[in-house]
Amino acid sequence: MQPVGGRSLSWDGHLVLVHDSESQRRAGVSAWVRRGLDLGAKIVYIEPRDVATERSLVRVLQDDGVDADEVLERGQLEVFRAGDDRFYRETWFTKVLEDALAEGYPTVRWSAEADTAWSVMSPEVHASVEAMTDLMCRSQPVSVLCQYSSHLGEATLKTVCALHGDGLRGALVQTTPLPDGCAVAGEVDRSDARMLHLALAAASAEPREDGSAFVVDLGALDFLDVAGARALVTGTETHRARGGTVCLRSAQPNVAHLLRLLGVDRLDGFSLEGSS
Amino acid sequence: VSPHRPIATGSYSHDLLVHDGDHDLVEGTRAFVDQGLASGGHVLVHSAPERVAMLRTVLGTHPRLEYGLDSDLYLTPMSTLFAYQRKLAESREPMELWATGTVPLGENPAGHAAWARYESAVNEVLSPYAFHGLCTYDLRALPPETIAAARATHPFVSTGAHRTASPEYQQPAAFLSNPAAGVPGPPDSPPTVSTTLHSHQDLRSARHLVAQSAVASSAVARHRIDAFVQAVNETLVNALQHGGATVQLKAWAETSRLTCLVADNGPGIADPMTGYAYPVPAGPRGLWVARQLCEDLFISNERRAGCSVLLTTA
Repeated sequence: MQPVGGRSLSWDGHLVLVHDSESQRRAGVSAWVRRGLDLGAKIVYIEPRDVATERSLVRVLQDDGVDADEVLERGQLEVFRAGDDRFYRETWFTKVLEDALAEGYPTVRWSAEADTAWSVMSPEVHASVEAMTDLMCRSQPVSVLCQYSSHLGEATLKTVCALHGDGLRGALVQTTPLPDGCAVAGEVDRSDARMLHLALAAASAEPREDGSAFVVDLGALDFLDVAGARALVTGTETHRARGGTVCLRSAQPNVAHLLRLLGVDRLDGFSLEGSS
Repeated sequence: VSPHRPIATGSYSHDLLVHDGDHDLVEGTRAFVDQGLASGGHVLVHSAPERVAMLRTVLGTHPRLEYGLDSDLYLTPMSTLFAYQRKLAESREPMELWATGTVPLGENPAGHAAWARYESAVNEVLSPYAFHGLCTYDLRALPPETIAAARATHPFVSTGAHRTASPEYQQPAAFLSNPAAGVPGPPDSPPTVSTTLHSHQDLRSARHLVAQSAVASSAVARHRIDAFVQAVNETLVNALQHGGATVQLKAWAETSRLTCLVADNGPGIADPMTGYAYPVPAGPRGLWVARQLCEDLFISNERRAGCSVLLTTA
């Protein structure tokens, strides 16, 4: 049984933060920076040249009780203002990483909003930057958090999901790719059900060649509400409509009880396995 | 004298049989069971063990006649109600269900009131189905208030062979104002949790506050706390969606009882029986789920504006 208060989800790796509102974005970014400070990591943040003061990272951190000026002064945090695409080139990434490691930082963390990148490059070029970043997060001591608004539309966000190897982070929930599906951890309620829908729609978009079930591992999901259960259904609708099946695996008792109450386990194409 | 109105097969009926001896009980039950079997339906006779044993001796067996114990089938009012609903709503083939017996009223007035609310809510929840109930109340064992409440919760009184409309019958929403319904209020003590929600993003901390106070201050089992928190969450989601800008949440954690009050200043919920009916496809199901995950849930509209929902579990 999980202790009351919820489990801590990971803020490391190549993650996408999908947010419905500015307050969700601020909470996510601040938690991500705090994690970096705890690790002693070098933190690099890129924001638009004309960023509004109240959206700037320094303000976000100050409002959350972080002494941003002090962290900037000692050089652990660097904020760059993007006027062109120079901060998105592999040569620049490599240079920042080498310098930080030489200075003794164990890891480097980058974050930016997608809008910032799109103000200096096309979405197509940005997608190739994301692919390069994903590779880098796998081979180097690097973590990257890309911030996307959930209002971008399903097609864009599906592409985004596919580009982030370590999955999606919402305020309360994380989805992580698995070889045969994806894992959902944390809590899903009305506030982040849409994110779960998008993550599942992206992860189950490709038909499974061997016809095996798309697995959704719910073992680390501590809470699911009716809106979240609906997202399990709508997020896999396309997959099931073309004959695919979905296996909801290892749901905790409260989650399994809700799924049975709502009859999700009896819907065509669904099975509930390994639930206590 | 009211005219005799026979039970119509394929429709809903919920009759009261008041008896002061085994003879009336056996004859009334026999007439009901015979009609149920003749209709082609499934018949259930349920009660305490001695009563079931006695009825089984006189009624015998039949492939479509089943005997059951209240201690297995009638655990709590809401679990019993929704189990019947599920059985009828989710049946793959049309099902005609005839159930007769007692309800386990319990030993205290609160138990009698809770089962009286069950008897009333049956009329809301099971009336869309081919369900027939004949509830037997024993004058020798039950106080007059309980018999009076039964007359207000059963549309018909019956001897088995003869049935007439009950003049004291009240619609389920109206019965909730009857003192016999014993609708509880929040505890007099100060709440252990008091907070305001402005958006769905406040749901998580509200859930954690309620769970933490329940774990810290009550002895209620953890799985019941989890279910209660889930019921509170759905009620909060509903209030945030329909109830205006802010939602007030108060919670009380007592040793053997959890209570929550969710109040908003929206237009109110027109029907206090909202959340009882089996949900339509793609329709809302938050309150329907909430009703099944706590012991009881009461909707009341405030005189000036707004709505409050009281949830309890024990």
